[in-house]
Amino acid sequence: MTATPSPFGPSGRRRTAQAAARLAAAGALLAGCASDGSQSALNPKSPDAALIAQLWWWFLGVSAVVLAVVVLVLAVGLLRGRGAQGARPLPESRRWALVVSGGIVAPAVAILGIVVSGLWIGRETGARPTPPDVTVEVAGKLWWWEVRYRDAQGGLIATTANEIHLPVGRMVRLLLLSDNVIHSFWVPNLDGKTDMIPGQVNELWFAPGEAGTYRGQCAELCGVQHALMGFLVVATEPAEFEAWLAHQARPAAEPEGALARRGREVFQQSCARCHTVRGTAARGGQGPDLTHLAGRRTLAAATIPNTRGHLGGWIADPQSIKPGNLMPGFALDPPDLHALLAYLEQLE
Amino acid sequence: MDTRSTVDVAGFSRFAANRHPLWWGVLWLIMIELTVVSAFIVSYFYLMRSAEAWPPAGIEPPPLLWPSVNLALLLASMVTMWWASWGLNRDNRAVLIAGLSLSLLFHCTVLALRWREMQLFGFKWSDHAYGSIVWTITGFHFTHIASAIVGTAVVLVLAIRGYFNPERQLAVVVDTLYWYFVSAAWVPFYLTLYWAPRLL
Amino acid sequence: MTLTDRTFDPGAPAVRDDPEETRRLEETWRSPSGPVGWFMPVNQRIIGRRFIVTAFVFFLLAGALGLLIRLQLAVPENSLLGPELYNQIVTTHGTTMMFLFAIPVVEGFAIFMAPMMIGSRDMAFPRLNAFGYYVYLIGGVAFFGSLFVGLAPAAGWFNYVPLANKEFSPGLGVGIWTTMITFIEVSALTAAVELIVTILKLRAPGMSLNRMPLFVWSVLVMAFMILFAMPTIIVASLLLILDRLVDTKFFIVEAGGEPLLWQHLFWFFGHPEVYIILVPALGVISSVITTFTGRPIFGYTALVVSLVATGFISFGLWVHHMFATGLPQLGLSFFMAASAMIAIPNGVQVFCWLASLWGAKIRLATPMLWVLGFFVIFVIGGLTGVMVASIPFDLQVHGTFFLVAHFHYVLIGGAVFPLIGGLYYWYPKMTGRLMSERLGKWSFWLAFLGFNLTFFPMHQLGMEGMPRRIYTYIDGLGWEGMNLLATAGSVVLALGFLLTAFNFWVSMRRGRPAGDDPWGAPTLEWRTSSPPAPYNHRHVAVVHGRYPLWQEREAGRREVVIGLRSDRREMVVTSILDAEPQSVQVLPGPTIWPFVSAVAASTGFIGILVSPIFFVIGFFLAFFSFVGWLWPRRPWRED
Ligand code: HEA
Ligand code: HEA
Ligand code: HEC
Ligand code: CUA
Ligand SMILES: [Cu+2]
Repeated sequence: MTATPSPFGPSGRRRTAQAAARLAAAGALLAGCASDGSQSALNPKSPDAALIAQLWWWFLGVSAVVLAVVVLVLAVGLLRGRGAQGARPLPESRRWALVVSGGIVAPAVAILGIVVSGLWIGRETGARPTPPDVTVEVAGKLWWWEVRYRDAQGGLIATTANEIHLPVGRMVRLLLLSDNVIHSFWVPNLDGKTDMIPGQVNELWFAPGEAGTYRGQCAELCGVQHALMGFLVVATEPAEFEAWLAHQARPAAEPEGALARRGREVFQQSCARCHTVRGTAARGGQGPDLTHLAGRRTLAAATIPNTRGHLGGWIADPQSIKPGNLMPGFALDPPDLHALLAYLEQLE
Repeated sequence: MDTRSTVDVAGFSRFAANRHPLWWGVLWLIMIELTVVSAFIVSYFYLMRSAEAWPPAGIEPPPLLWPSVNLALLLASMVTMWWASWGLNRDNRAVLIAGLSLSLLFHCTVLALRWREMQLFGFKWSDHAYGSIVWTITGFHFTHIASAIVGTAVVLVLAIRGYFNPERQLAVVVDTLYWYFVSAAWVPFYLTLYWAPRLL
Repeated sequence: MTLTDRTFDPGAPAVRDDPEETRRLEETWRSPSGPVGWFMPVNQRIIGRRFIVTAFVFFLLAGALGLLIRLQLAVPENSLLGPELYNQIVTTHGTTMMFLFAIPVVEGFAIFMAPMMIGSRDMAFPRLNAFGYYVYLIGGVAFFGSLFVGLAPAAGWFNYVPLANKEFSPGLGVGIWTTMITFIEVSALTAAVELIVTILKLRAPGMSLNRMPLFVWSVLVMAFMILFAMPTIIVASLLLILDRLVDTKFFIVEAGGEPLLWQHLFWFFGHPEVYIILVPALGVISSVITTFTGRPIFGYTALVVSLVATGFISFGLWVHHMFATGLPQLGLSFFMAASAMIAIPNGVQVFCWLASLWGAKIRLATPMLWVLGFFVIFVIGGLTGVMVASIPFDLQVHGTFFLVAHFHYVLIGGAVFPLIGGLYYWYPKMTGRLMSERLGKWSFWLAFLGFNLTFFPMHQLGMEGMPRRIYTYIDGLGWEGMNLLATAGSVVLALGFLLTAFNFWVSMRRGRPAGDDPWGAPTLEWRTSSPPAPYNHRHVAVVHGRYPLWQEREAGRREVVIGLRSDRREMVVTSILDAEPQSVQVLPGPTIWPFVSAVAASTGFIGILVSPIFFVIGFFLAFFSFVGWLWPRRPWRED
């Protein structure tokens, strides 16, 4: 890529000072999970993810038993030979019984279980009841996500980025695309991952089961900023979703106030070649659509919260937040920056 | 420890070409190359399967005449090569040299024909995936013919200098084996490059 | 069951060691010394030792990179390594471990041990063997060196296109990856051919296939797998080289190329690759268990069949690395079933060993400890392997740290632990001295503990959504504790491995002298002196069973071959199945040609990074040096 990676990490803050404290905490963390589970396959929020999570608990249980048996056989077998009485091997027929039961029968049963459950759950999670309630096209970019809502005829309703709103309880069809490298679309709470491969369109179908905000992340190495290529899925009640979508479909509102209008000029000068703000002359396609930027919860592909401070920091120096990403920094005059921020904040 | 001898190999042959490890070595080398050949052919069909038009619109499949002549020449060269080793087995140096020379002649002709054919390809390797795979397979086969020629030329030189006799013929046996492979490899390539786009 | 075989011939003539002949033999098989001499030896033990030592050096180097990875991930939003450097380090770590450590080290053990175990004095093509080593060395150094000049590849160890295409990876890195990997595969292929022919044709008379030590069987299976797996990665690399160098369009979607073609070709090699690493390690386990239980292994035939079955099945699993690519469900299901199926041959082996260990009088020496560690770690890794064979489950954990946990469990527990066990086991044969048991035990327990601390939490991390190959993660996702724990564990793990490295080093001079057969082992390599004389076996053995040394000890006598000349390098050629003596192979002596050829070939391979014309130049340079090395020397010996 054209990226010139800086030697610095995201923001050079917390460091090893905290390491010791963390180590102490680590033991406790092993027992209970401290995260809020907003990016976890163990906290399923859709029927698909729930089935897979269930499968996991079965796997874990059975594996624990298999491991215990192996370790037990090993330990008992070793201890039997330890006395003074010399070797006490198993009789030949018992040995065969051990090998056949442990090495053939047990795995065969396990295989049967895996294949049957895999086919069944695969069919459930892969089910595609036509027509879907919502169709969303998600395109993997370097290193962010373009999101396009389509109507039943395939017409474009709205374009946004890095934040996908979906209605709870409705069947969603995602069309996964890429025009650059391979990415992989993954929201652990909602479903397994699916690759986005140039030259083909993959589909992912699921129905969010519960309102909430879930984090997803790219799961296929896609270059310098693979690590910070995240996004949010916001599942809301259908009515709320419809309202949101209708709002997204609208072009940006006229800026109010001189400061914001000045900000729009700055934007046209510096940003328009890469960003689109619908309803203005800004039509760039290289960066995310910013028409309703202020309505988003995060910036830079779910990397930093969408606050004024972070927004300003991002515009001034995106390379220190996401080293190597494709947006250059802008050393704007403070008044210009001020105006720009005022403008961007109005892009609800 | 009481050590006894039960096998005495003093009188065993030191050359035994047909079971010599080198013969086996070249056999496995050929297996490697065979895998390479298969990988190329699989790649060809994979690209073909995922293409909308094969060859791409506006391109004709390569003409059949000269590749078919090449096929005949390559198969013939296998016969002459066999004839050469037949001569060697009977300690007939003239047949050995004649056989080797004829085979070399056939292969050189093939090389020239292929060269000509490449000039006439209506596309470049950088035009599209079809061009890439056709050129790559062609180049692969071309290099192999060339190396078989060089190897056999060395054997021919040795033959002329009287190195070989029915007892000492390892190099010939091994070279022949490789020759058979290189010549026969044209069959799947020929079918793939020239017939697959017409028939499939 | 008694070990004595009735076929000892009581009337055979006695053999005495003539000191004059021994001296001549030694003279014939000796390798030259001195600075030029270093480039000339062709004896299999020297080549094997070089492979092993070089591979372990790469292990330490790549392990140090593993530690860097762990340090970077210890805390969220860490800025120790930048993203580009991190990607380079992960790629170099993975590639080095797989291609420059794991495969060469098993080849090294195979080259060193297998010929001695089958009673041979060398391998079938000694010069090719030497060539393979130089190729590996040059390729390896060039590859790893690229990291120090900031030119290392950064597209992961499987180097997916289009990320690896010129457009998205414009630097030299990917070019170095493709050419050097191809180069190193050439080395693996030469070793494979070499090992196959040696094992099939140069076994001691009487060592029929069903008497072959299990380690040799595993080497044979590995070599066949290399033979059929490696060519596809060479083809894949070649296509990518061409794309990057002369603008072919194999992987360029806009011009009809196919990114998935790369994945198919890579994994058709890549899956067998992991078993290529595993299988010889399984052979080591069989050897160690036999020796340390002091009795025949249980289920020899079942073990052989399992090894062969593993080899076969492993060529039908590659698509399980591509479950998330959106291939048709029906086809994927086949691969799900096939992948789970491989649990059977693995299970059979595990339980055969358990049956062998049950109730045995086991000496818990260090080699045995590492093998016992294998049981726990490998089974965990195998079980997670079977889990990810399930498509729906894999779609959650593919590309996450759960996978990282899976493959470190199988790679380190399944391969590295047994190989270190093998190192402790065969070290006395290689050096004539034993490694320190005390250090060995400390090393084992630190590594065992550290390993589990490092990699067990990664299962949890993967389930909690942490993708792999990320140079950092934002704070607040709940991954902080596990990551820190893993980092702490990796330090303990490294300490464990370093102790063995240290042990290796000091025992060379200070270790207890071992004697020929310190463990009371049953296989032929222990019949040589420690370290073996240049000719390995003073007399080539005649074998009557699976455990020749135990048999000979019990019978108080042994049988050998006579009639091999001592004034040149001669070996007995035997038939494939029954090892009936057939003829004698005369081997070449030390020569510089393999080195010259390796340099010629590397000119081509390294030059190709600059211009495609070097492909042709290298090809023919190498070709002519081969002719040079094979040209018969005058006067043509009349024998
Ligand atoms: C030595 C190396 C090694 C070994 C031995 C294995 C062994 C296995 N592996 Fe693994 N694998 C890797 C190295 C290895 N793997 C690597 C490096 C990768 C990742 C590559 C990458 O992406 O970078 C990978 C990835 C990988 C994937 C791809 C996942 C993904 O990318 O999403 C899959 C999927 O099926 C898989 C499956 C298996 C299976 C089924 C086994 C089986 O062979 C395991 C069989 C063993 C046992 C099951 C234990 C012993 C048996 C018993 C004790 C009997 C009782 C058992 C039962 C009742 C089940 N592996
Ligand atoms: C045989 C194979 C093998 C082995 C042994 C290891 C060993 C280790 N690996 Fe590795 N690993 C891989 C194969 C292997 N790995 C592969 C294939 C990948 C995937 C790459 C990819 O995604 O492309 C990977 C990826 C990988 C990751 C994931 C990175 C990511 O996805 O972002 C991590 C993270 O923790 C990791 C850690 C470690 C650690 C801590 C060790 C430890 O065991 C290391 C122990 C430490 C030592 C052995 C060092 C001791 C030496 C010193 C302290 C210095 C002395 C130095 C000199 C004398 C020169 N490895
Ligand atoms: C050279 C092209 C380019 C220019 C010029 C540019 N940007 Fe960007 N911008 C990008 C890219 C690419 C991204 C996505 C970065 C990422 O997340 O990896 C981005 C992301 C952003 C984001 C985060 C969007 C989100 O949804 O997370 C904001 C806000 C933004 N840019 C604002 C601006 C402003 C304001 C300007 C002008 C001062 C500007 N950009 C100029 C390319 C550009
Ligand atoms: Cu996109 Cu990783
Ligand atoms: Cu696999």
